[in-house]
Amino acid sequence: MVSTLSLDAINTLAAVILLADFMLVASSRMRSLTRIFALQSLAMGCLAAVVAFETGAEHIYVVAVLSVALKAVVIPRFIDYTTAKIQVNREVEPLIKIPGSLLICAAITILAYFVTEPIMELGTAITSNCLAISFATVLIGMFMMVSRKKAITEVIGLLIVENGVFLAAISTTYSMPMIVELGVFFDIFVGVIIMGIFAFRINRTFETIDSTVLRGLKD
Amino acid sequence: MIEAALILPAVLAAICLLLGRRTRLVEAVSVAGAGSMLVLGLYLVLRTFDEGSVDEGIWYMDQFSGLMMLIIVLIGFLAMVYSVPYMRHEHDSGEVNQKRIAYYYGFLFLFILTMVLVVVSNNLGMVWIAVEATTLVSAFLVGFHNKATSLEATWKYLIICSIGISLALLGTIFIYASSLPILGEGSDLHWTSLMAVAGQLDPSFLKIGFVLVLIGYGTKAGLAPMHTWLPDAHSQSPSPVSALLSGVLLNCAMYAVLRYHILLIHSPLGGGFSSGLLLLFGLLSLGIAAAFIITQKDYKRLLAYSSIEHIGIISIGFGFGGFWGIFGGLLHMLNHSLTKALLFFGAGNVLQKYGTKNISEVRGVGRTMPFTAALLIIGSLAITGSPPFSIFTSEIMVLTAGIDQGNLLPAILYSAILVVVFAAFMGHIVKMVFGEPPQGMEKGEISKMGLLPMIVLAAAILIMGLYIPDILGDALRDIIALFGGLV
Repeated sequence: MVSTLSLDAINTLAAVILLADFMLVASSRMRSLTRIFALQSLAMGCLAAVVAFETGAEHIYVVAVLSVALKAVVIPRFIDYTTAKIQVNREVEPLIKIPGSLLICAAITILAYFVTEPIMELGTAITSNCLAISFATVLIGMFMMVSRKKAITEVIGLLIVENGVFLAAISTTYSMPMIVELGVFFDIFVGVIIMGIFAFRINRTFETIDSTVLRGLKD
Repeated sequence: MIEAALILPAVLAAICLLLGRRTRLVEAVSVAGAGSMLVLGLYLVLRTFDEGSVDEGIWYMDQFSGLMMLIIVLIGFLAMVYSVPYMRHEHDSGEVNQKRIAYYYGFLFLFILTMVLVVVSNNLGMVWIAVEATTLVSAFLVGFHNKATSLEATWKYLIICSIGISLALLGTIFIYASSLPILGEGSDLHWTSLMAVAGQLDPSFLKIGFVLVLIGYGTKAGLAPMHTWLPDAHSQSPSPVSALLSGVLLNCAMYAVLRYHILLIHSPLGGGFSSGLLLLFGLLSLGIAAAFIITQKDYKRLLAYSSIEHIGIISIGFGFGGFWGIFGGLLHMLNHSLTKALLFFGAGNVLQKYGTKNISEVRGVGRTMPFTAALLIIGSLAITGSPPFSIFTSEIMVLTAGIDQGNLLPAILYSAILVVVFAAFMGHIVKMVFGEPPQGMEKGEISKMGLLPMIVLAAAILIMGLYIPDILGDALRDIIALFGGLV
């Protein structure tokens, strides 16, 4: 009942999302981080659109459009604007070197497949295969947050985690009730703006955007 | 009617922000507004306590939401009253300008708004949105002072809580997934509809869902080991905000966890799984908090770690379960918020008088500010569980539950840690209150108005320690029924 074309599309888009995770970890320029995040969000939006087409649930189209508009266009622009404004240098400055990071992310992906296997068997959704990728995305996003130096990269890591959660919602329940989805988008959007404001203030106070300077409060 | 409790703080926030530099007017609006919020809130609370749950579609209140609402509006009002002298002092000492004072009150109302939203939302997805919104709004209050240390605290708060809460969203999705096969297209993630089919929910989805929800909201509730943001945020915020964060926000996050706990109790999985986890995280929080209380050098951080300890106690209460465990846990939520607000207000007076947060630099509060000192001693005795104050009652209930349920080892650990915390905490406070004040320190309270909410709180914890009003006792029994009675 589900056309093979749609299934192929879903699998390809999921692969793009996973690929984007690795590209993020591998990139050493700040600008490419936002580009890759935008690409991942675009793939996510398209995946949602395919699911909407297959299930005939119209509200998923809205989710797809919002996802593309906010996460692929507005938020990346805002982050670029903030980085330009605080004149942060263009290097990502990883705390764990890129080859090592890639190795860790490969391990994370295998782990994600391993832990989600029992849940995927329960899933009835056409997209239930994507659950492993969504877990991998969540974990890689978290890895980004702890292994990169700049405060802005922490925000991007957080957005990757959110993307992973979004994919999990699509792959287990075909997204959540409309009002919840809208609220989540609103929170993410406002959250990014607030983090941008504070990144700006941190830069002004410490004259750097390295989150490693934020080590003053201790017991 | 419930909408009114959401519209009112939104309107008040807008008024405060619009009034800007007219500080006296902003203060009047804030106190009067918080007062009317208190009246409205109490009306809603009494309505649910009297008539049971109120289901208005997307808004829903039962006795449990009622108890949380009581805490929010009561501590909200007292914090607002305490803010007036506190912020005047900050202004006079050149810390903040008039524009930022209006901004402070505006965000305080928005903060209250988001917390009310947490407890009156029927939709569990909305609860998530509201909890995330509390982080976003209160970030501005935590970072209010704009100093290097408060910015650091704010950044940690934003990042750690947002990441934690995204796990809670993942958990919410799995809970939603567990209901889809039964409710199908009509599934709306409403608490009431989930509870109606709780007996048929898929146990495997519930299991992983609850673990994620507990870690996610547990981060916000300050359960160890996800608590690392809490001491920083609570010590860097202005004191009235610390009182709200510790006394109210932690409870709201705990409330969200407990809603899922109730769901699990009524599901085929049973409550054993979630109770076990609550007990484990509770004991861990208690232990970690105790270690940091012993070695603490900063009195606001001392209070923050004490909050982790008490969230641990609440969690242990629900973990033990049974009538006394749940009764004690619920009562402890209220008692802790009253007592911790009193202590943070006292700490605010000390901070403004001495200009330092170091315990070793504060001596002789008893000489310089006798009333604050007396109230601090009362609060410290209460928070460490001495009779006749109310926390003693709820802590004993939790202990009784542990022994009743045959959880002897956790019960022994629990009482041992409480004794250690008592000695360590009182040791720190006694050092601050007695001794010679530093040279050149003037005598006199920082403000008379600031003492007023503290006296109200001290009276409340004393009365609650002597007897529990019938209306509250009955409501708590109704909430226990919600938890399935004797679990």
